[in-house]
Amino acid sequence: MPLLDVHNLSKIYEGKVSIHALNHIRFAVEKGEFVGIMGPSGSGKTTLLNVIATIDEPTSGEVMIGGRDPNTLGRKEKALFRRKELGFVFQQFNLLDTLTVEENIVLPLTLAGIPVAEMERRLQEVAARLEIVQLLGKRTYEISGGQMQRVAIARAMIHRPALILADEPTGSLDSKTAGEVMGLLAEVNEAEGATVLMVTHDAVAASFCHRVIFIKDGRFYNEMYRGSSRAAFFQNIIDMLSLLGGASHDLSPVRL
Amino acid sequence: MTFRQFAYRNVTRNKRKYAAYFVCSSFSVMVFFLCALFVFHPAIKKDLILSTAANTMLAAEGIIFVFSSLFVLVSVDSFLQSRKLEFGILLMHGMTKGQLNKMVFLENMMIGGSAILSGTLLGILLGKLFLMIGAGFLGIGPLEFYFSWQAPVLTISSFALLFVLISLGTFVLIGQDSPRGLFQGGRRKEQAPRVSLLWAAVSALLLLGGYALAASASASSVERVMFPVVAITVIGTYLFYTQLSLYIAGVLRSIRRFYWHKTNLIMLSGLSYRWKANGRMFFMVTIVSAVSFTSVGVFASIHTLSRELKLDYPAAVGYVAKANQDGDRAEHDLQGIRSELERLGLPYETLTLPVKYAEVASQTGPDLTRQLPLISYSDYMQALEKAGFVSVEQPLQGSEGLVMIGSQRDRSLTSSRVKAVYTLEQGMEIVEAGYTGHVPIAEYLLPELDGRDGGDFSGIVISDSLFQAITPVHTDRYTGFYVDDFPQTSGIARSLSDKGKVAYESDAPYAVVVSGTLFEIQKILYSTMLFASLLVGTVFFIAAGSFLYFRLYTDLDHDRQQYSTLSKMGLTDQELDRTVTLQLALMFFIPVGMAILHSLFAFIALQRLFYLSIAVETGAVLAGYLAAQGLYFFLIRGRYLRNLKKN
Repeated sequence: MPLLDVHNLSKIYEGKVSIHALNHIRFAVEKGEFVGIMGPSGSGKTTLLNVIATIDEPTSGEVMIGGRDPNTLGRKEKALFRRKELGFVFQQFNLLDTLTVEENIVLPLTLAGIPVAEMERRLQEVAARLEIVQLLGKRTYEISGGQMQRVAIARAMIHRPALILADEPTGSLDSKTAGEVMGLLAEVNEAEGATVLMVTHDAVAASFCHRVIFIKDGRFYNEMYRGSSRAAFFQNIIDMLSLLGGASHDLSPVRL
Repeated sequence: MTFRQFAYRNVTRNKRKYAAYFVCSSFSVMVFFLCALFVFHPAIKKDLILSTAANTMLAAEGIIFVFSSLFVLVSVDSFLQSRKLEFGILLMHGMTKGQLNKMVFLENMMIGGSAILSGTLLGILLGKLFLMIGAGFLGIGPLEFYFSWQAPVLTISSFALLFVLISLGTFVLIGQDSPRGLFQGGRRKEQAPRVSLLWAAVSALLLLGGYALAASASASSVERVMFPVVAITVIGTYLFYTQLSLYIAGVLRSIRRFYWHKTNLIMLSGLSYRWKANGRMFFMVTIVSAVSFTSVGVFASIHTLSRELKLDYPAAVGYVAKANQDGDRAEHDLQGIRSELERLGLPYETLTLPVKYAEVASQTGPDLTRQLPLISYSDYMQALEKAGFVSVEQPLQGSEGLVMIGSQRDRSLTSSRVKAVYTLEQGMEIVEAGYTGHVPIAEYLLPELDGRDGGDFSGIVISDSLFQAITPVHTDRYTGFYVDDFPQTSGIARSLSDKGKVAYESDAPYAVVVSGTLFEIQKILYSTMLFASLLVGTVFFIAAGSFLYFRLYTDLDHDRQQYSTLSKMGLTDQELDRTVTLQLALMFFIPVGMAILHSLFAFIALQRLFYLSIAVETGAVLAGYLAAQGLYFFLIRGRYLRNLKKN
């Protein structure tokens, strides 16, 4: 059974002109997979991510995460579900500036009421994996963007969620840092067996995935598997993006 | 879009930001106007007694004005701070410094002008009601609505001056920052004070010391320690907000078992963040509230005043004919009082007793009395009986004497006074053996015993035999008119004294005390002060609320983003509500709680000056403020939570 099963998912925003943001999307993500979602602006990527994240409700269709459909839950149960089963990485990092780095990382565990000793053990573990041990005591405004995103990744994985959702994780980083962060995310996925679903514009970032799903106008358009060479995969992604025909500014400026 | 339209839109499209500031400013203007209406009311101005009330109201106006200036200055400064980024953008697009100044000036004047206008209009609208309430408070007949031209002129001109001066002052506040500086200004972290154990300890020590001094002050030392205690407490409070509370939060944060538990992490970190940014404001709110609590509490104690007056003035009208006046005049005066009492239909009893003055050769103790007023024991007992006091005092023996207390307040002074032994010129000795249990002859009718101003004891009661043996320098005659319902005697003997008393020390050939008139004056004075302090207290209260509102509003975007992240991470609505409620509750109630604690200790100290308990009145005032604050808290909490969840 796949970990994430998106089944005939549709989302219509009602209004003077109703917008078909998602149109019968269907795909599945296996446990331990690293999947990217790409598409031109307005293709419904963020809506898709929000529906999977239980922040938005589908008009029809269903999302099964670990065999459960969180959209059938009440508001409070949904929150508890997110807390336990999902981890989030955002474009703007969204670290809480009132907390120190380590407090930001242990936040999901604190909310769940895990004992302090256990929290500290897991904190050391993820900090070592993401190479941020020396940052733990700092405040969020004392560290760089790349470091912030690493902290955010640590926060998203410390409670060992079933699924990590990443929304443009490299969107606010320069290309070198973006590469480093993506390398770490791929490594986390590899070593910990964490399942990652990432929405991105950035072809370089997408090339770290096992598989990239392309959507356009709310519909499933195509999907691509990496194979052995990341460079070749990157080139294929670029080609697919030009085929998709989004506005040119949607494309990564990097070309090989 | 003209330049003026631009400034106008800057204000009107930011209504919410300026709402609390505007409401508070117009409220201050309104209260100021209403007070002015009262002060310039012809019925108040012409009345002799009520004109003291007008002076109190004028003082209240002064306080409101000074406080409003501070309030407007601080508010305008925080508005400017929160708009640095906007100013940076405008300067980048080529706005000159002069234009920027002009824009800010226009904006301020628009808000200020409309606050003046709405405050005055509201004042005119509520004027009649206010005069009715005011008259009710003072216990005088209804005041007609009278619209004096002075009231609006004074109000509008003084507040216009205030807003113009402060708006001009903003040119300095905007400063000489370059656009780059302004761009960064939006994001620059507020420099939090360095928290140290030393200062935290100093704060705790100062507060505890202040409280201990206040609680242990005796009647004689209250006036002496008052200022140091206030200073100590104010400094202690400042350090409490900038040091001690942050230190306590730091200690709590270092206990991971507590801090890393559920929502404590978010709650406590968010709270310290706000606390650091708002410490000075909390300090101001605390001090201002403590002052208004204390004054309102003190002036609310009028009811105890009448009970106190009854004890202090045993005879409703007391008259002393000095020895140097000729007999006819005294008889004429007394006859006048009698006929006035009869005309009012007040049943009365009289008592006349001689007061002998003995020449003192020497005395022990720090004071120097030349002439010692003496009354006999049997006269004393008679005076008590007429006044309806029950006494268990034993007849005096030999040279023993009882010092007469001039008022109930003196009783608390007895412990610190050194009992003296007097040697008279005649060769006899009088030994102070104790103090009378009641006031036989009211204050002002006898010279002060200790021969200095503010000495409080009146004279000495001695045994009948000793009294007989005294050859006086001169002898005064005291006559008391005992009336059960003493407030009725108000206005009696106006030809002798229009303010209810002529003290013995004056040059007049007589001394007189009319307790009804004194009561009337005191009552009106206290009621006006209560009224004024309630008004000023309300202005303070609304201003404090406005500060809190503005701070929450400025942080709203930041908080909204934080909570949206948290809710994605799985913070439930209940947890969010609980966290926010607890944070806001601490922000709302710690300053008020501190203020209540401060004023409680102030009351304990003041209790030494007021002989009778003022606990009930004080409790009512504090409960009222707490209730108002609670209401405001729920209002703001509801709005804030709704705004927070609006993504």
